[in-house]
Amino acid sequence: MATAVAEHHAEHHYTSTGLPHTKIAIWAFIGSECFFFASLISTYLIYKGRSVVGPFPHTPWTDPSTGHVYHPILNIPVTSTSTFVLLMSSLAMVLAHAAVERSDHKWSRIWLLTTAALGATFLGFQAFEFTSFVHEGLKITTNLFGSTFFITTGFHGAHVTAGVLWLITMYFIDKKRGLGPRDAVNVDVMALYWHFVDVVWVAIFTFLYLLQ
Amino acid sequence: MATTVAAPSVTGKAHKYESGIWSWLATTDHKRIGQLYMYTAIAWFVIGGIEALFIRSQLYGPNGRLVSADTYNQLFTMHGTTMIFMAIMPLSAAFFNLLIPLQIGARDVAFPRLNAFSYWVFLAGSVFMNVSWLIHAAPDGGWFAYAPLNTRQFNPGVNMDFWVIGLQILGLSSLAAGFNFVTTIINMRAPGMHFMRMPVFTWAAFVTQFLIILAFPIITVAVTFLLFDRFFGTNFYEIAAGADPLLWQHLFWLFGHPEVYILILPAFGLVSEVLPTFSRKPLFGYPVMVYSLILIAFLGFGVWAHHMFAVGMGPVADSIFSVTTMLIAIPTGVKIFNWLGTMWGGNLSFKTPMLFGIGLVGLFTIGGISGVMHSSPPSDLMQTDSYFIVAHFHYVLFGGSMMGLFAGVYYYFPKMTGRMMSEPLGKWHFWLTFIGMNLAFFPMHFAGLNGMPRRIWSYDANQGWDFDNHLSTYGAFIIAFATAIFLYNFLRSRGHGALAGNNPWDAPTIEWSMPSPPPDYNYAKIPTVTSRYPMWPQQGPTPLSPPVPTAGGDQPLPTYQTAEQLGIHMPTPTIKPLLATMGLTLAFVGLIWHRQIPIILLGGAIFIVSLYAWVLTPLEPEH
Amino acid sequence: MTGFHRARRTVYAALTPVFVLGLAACAGFPDTIFGAHSEIGRTEDRLTYLLLILGGLVFVLVEGALIWALIKFRSKPNATTPKQTHGNTTLEITWTLIPAVILAVIAVPSVRTIFETQAAAAAGSLQVDVIGHQWWWEFRYPQYKITTANELYLPVGRTASFTLRTDDVIHSFWIPQLAGKRDVVHKERPNYLWFTPDSAGAWNGFCAEYCGTSHSNMRFRVFTVSPEQFAAWVKHQQTGPAFPATAATPQPDTSKKGATPAPSPAATATLASDTNTATYPRDQLPTWTVPATPLPADEHFDESTIAKADPARGAQIFKTAACIGCHTIQGVSPGIIGPNLTHVGSRTTIGAGLYPNDMKHLTMWIKDARLMKPGSIMPPMGKGLPEAMGAFDDQQIADLAAYLSSLK
Repeated sequence: MATAVAEHHAEHHYTSTGLPHTKIAIWAFIGSECFFFASLISTYLIYKGRSVVGPFPHTPWTDPSTGHVYHPILNIPVTSTSTFVLLMSSLAMVLAHAAVERSDHKWSRIWLLTTAALGATFLGFQAFEFTSFVHEGLKITTNLFGSTFFITTGFHGAHVTAGVLWLITMYFIDKKRGLGPRDAVNVDVMALYWHFVDVVWVAIFTFLYLLQ
Repeated sequence: MATTVAAPSVTGKAHKYESGIWSWLATTDHKRIGQLYMYTAIAWFVIGGIEALFIRSQLYGPNGRLVSADTYNQLFTMHGTTMIFMAIMPLSAAFFNLLIPLQIGARDVAFPRLNAFSYWVFLAGSVFMNVSWLIHAAPDGGWFAYAPLNTRQFNPGVNMDFWVIGLQILGLSSLAAGFNFVTTIINMRAPGMHFMRMPVFTWAAFVTQFLIILAFPIITVAVTFLLFDRFFGTNFYEIAAGADPLLWQHLFWLFGHPEVYILILPAFGLVSEVLPTFSRKPLFGYPVMVYSLILIAFLGFGVWAHHMFAVGMGPVADSIFSVTTMLIAIPTGVKIFNWLGTMWGGNLSFKTPMLFGIGLVGLFTIGGISGVMHSSPPSDLMQTDSYFIVAHFHYVLFGGSMMGLFAGVYYYFPKMTGRMMSEPLGKWHFWLTFIGMNLAFFPMHFAGLNGMPRRIWSYDANQGWDFDNHLSTYGAFIIAFATAIFLYNFLRSRGHGALAGNNPWDAPTIEWSMPSPPPDYNYAKIPTVTSRYPMWPQQGPTPLSPPVPTAGGDQPLPTYQTAEQLGIHMPTPTIKPLLATMGLTLAFVGLIWHRQIPIILLGGAIFIVSLYAWVLTPLEPEH
Repeated sequence: MTGFHRARRTVYAALTPVFVLGLAACAGFPDTIFGAHSEIGRTEDRLTYLLLILGGLVFVLVEGALIWALIKFRSKPNATTPKQTHGNTTLEITWTLIPAVILAVIAVPSVRTIFETQAAAAAGSLQVDVIGHQWWWEFRYPQYKITTANELYLPVGRTASFTLRTDDVIHSFWIPQLAGKRDVVHKERPNYLWFTPDSAGAWNGFCAEYCGTSHSNMRFRVFTVSPEQFAAWVKHQQTGPAFPATAATPQPDTSKKGATPAPSPAATATLASDTNTATYPRDQLPTWTVPATPLPADEHFDESTIAKADPARGAQIFKTAACIGCHTIQGVSPGIIGPNLTHVGSRTTIGAGLYPNDMKHLTMWIKDARLMKPGSIMPPMGKGLPEAMGAFDDQQIADLAAYLSSLK
């Protein structure tokens, strides 16, 4: 996805569809990513309820050897908040894109930074969530739930991280030379990626958190 | 014929970038990258072939003791992995690179530096996996690496670590190339090059890229699970933790069956170029050929569990996958019939590419028929995991893919190098390969039907398998001899073959309008396309005469005007994709080598810095 | 439906000559899938024949058309431009429909056979629990409380219903002459397979799914015997070990002529299951069930010890050695990691069909199983061998082997 930023010089040239290469490529990439996350989420669902030991996502578990009671791991209210934050970042992304298109440097920078900040906030929530889960006794090695949960949300988190880095890079480019209409395509591609990552989160939130 | 080509000019300068190893390391030219793919793939083909010779020597007679059981298991695992991921796929990628921009009338691929990155990552992944031989710890879980045999518990050595990481790296290469070619084909077709005018090879490549970008994420996930299991103690394939060993099989074959079409469709595409040229007739039923490609790809995602009829999925699932598998035979059969239709009534000249093309039609048919036999689960229970299956997929992959790819090598060698390969040697290569491959693989049908299981290091005497195995071993060595002839022909013809000229085969598609080898900028002026076969007159081509060039081996290649002289902006050569690859590989080396965190971080840092340096530099010099 | 059945009978009648050919062909091919000796095997064969015939037909037509075209349309001198056909819709629809019809002809019996062969086994079937291990087979007969390894006895005419589980990785249970294979996948959730053997004989079985180092050495034997012989075998297997487990002093076993502690004649003979009517007669074993695996070149055993071997001494060694940790001998040891040895002397092979069960191979096996079978979990027992779990000299090993051989 990152190549999208610099290959733009080729875009002065004729293209068959009239669309820039990066836009086609990002859609191909998103199609591929759909299969990636579908495989991860499917595995989570296939292994749901098959963990031999707890802790479990939605039900308490008593360790038969120690008698220790583990509470349900997932904290829906907290994650709902972080989900809301991530969804708001998509809104900020739309506003950033609009600002770039009209060469409004002040607002493009503000909204780019806001998007990145909301993304970073989401990551902060995830870091908090992960540490508290580990503290409560769920590690990636604990059981099937731990393995499938951490790998699915972890890969999503990595995607958000890449997106935040991309946004920050864009912000600095904007600061250095100002993004104008000719950069709109690159912001557009970044926005597509960002929205896609959001949509994936909605799927993860639904299947991993809400589905009991 | 509405194409404009760079006029060969003896006064023009030779490509100034053309010499030196540096020019290859920094290249972003799709033709050079294609050649790199081709040389590397042929090298791995030879190594995979040597592994096959060991396998066949071990199995020559009962109770063979040439290699140990462990070595044998490494040999057959790496033979499969090498031939699939390091020989056939990259050889196909070589043609994607060489041909797609030429066939659609473009200057290069959409993302030239990403293209270089794909190649370097492929090279790194393939070398990474094979380094394991040096410490006699090559992967030994089979190319299918079934769980839980692939887990640390049952495979404690580094063998499968090499496989897991190597495959992860190779997958990255295929994915990057996939996005690139999808974009290239959708977006860089010359004016007038509608989808239904595209050469069939480009169509096959296009469909293959979709298979790659949709199937590889699945294997990436499966392999990532395994990597985490092996390195970080997760439970994805841990039976004691409640894991299901069939998860791996489902994920693997969800990728694995589309992979089969990733391996065969490019060869189908090449043959669809070769047969019309040497039949002097257009491809029979072009639209149907295109639709059948799409249909095969689509159905290819719905048949994976026919690899699993013996695992006990229950009668309903068995029936469903049986029927979908039978369905996919229909578009495949249509392709065979349409190739026959192409040759029917034609004016066939049996040049080497044509021989290999006909070889594909004849031999793939055998593999297709045995494939239909496996689609019936009760019958398949007698065949699966026996040598009958080994026979089947060698007819598909050697008789199909490799025959098609060899046809492509002979057919496009003149375009790639400007020189012809030797026809007599090519014919020796074909006939020895044809005889050797049938001798090697046909008896395997009988061995399998007579009860010989697959992947066995050794078998007992008195089982009735000796004769079949003798024949197979002889066949393997004949193939090896044929391949030696090919290598000699290939390497020698690069410098000494007859001068090819633009269109030595009088072929119909647009890539033959340009000089051989094409200038770095391909088309001096982007052509406008008005028909499917722009190089042939409306009323059809004349017979292939005069015969293809045979003279001029001592003369230098023609030179052309440079891009600067023509005012064409070319991408700046860069080694950043190579640096990024090295960083990435270093991180994985750190992982396998006692999990050295500093090395992993250093590799990661090199990767990210190179990536930033790469994406923040414009592709072409500022103008 | 009846019309369909009639058509089916006609097809099969037409196939009869092929069956005969197939049977004739299997003379030199002991493990062929053709001419199977159970109803399931034959049902699967019938489909295979149908597929072979239809496939052969397609093969002849396509390759015939190809060769015809190559000859007829080869370039001739003075050739002109051929007619530029771009396609022919009627033709293309035809050759789409014909394969579809052929496939329908295959699909209908296929699907029916799937359901037929995967139906529940008949009531009163013989239950056999199969457990795959790296790299040997454990067979349990829960109805008779028998546990044995690598050799399966089945009565002719009674449906055998198998419950397939694994102890480690995936294996696949395959007896080509009796039925198609079935993978052995799960520890808990079994796979099922049933068939009814219809003729007596000795057959080879194989592991058909790659399962690690000695995948190729994970073979087994199946003896289909008359119901009376089977009952005798069951009775014999249900008794305790032939060699008195409690004996502090050696006692004569049935095959022994003398009662002195001198070396047992049984120990020197190739195992004399011929004295025991309950097991498959050793001298009637077909050649293909007698292993010819060569001995490892770098293992040496002093064969002169075999003549002096004493099963009573062997029994003492067994009880105090590491053997008991892994192997069960009823009344002697409870180990469950390796094969049950209660009646090991009655088996025809050792090492999962890898070597004949005689003193020569048994001694070498005990001395260094890993040289005899790559990857074997059983550690070497010989003195001074790397990773050895025992320190027995060749005489002690011969005694052990004599003891085990006496366990008919």
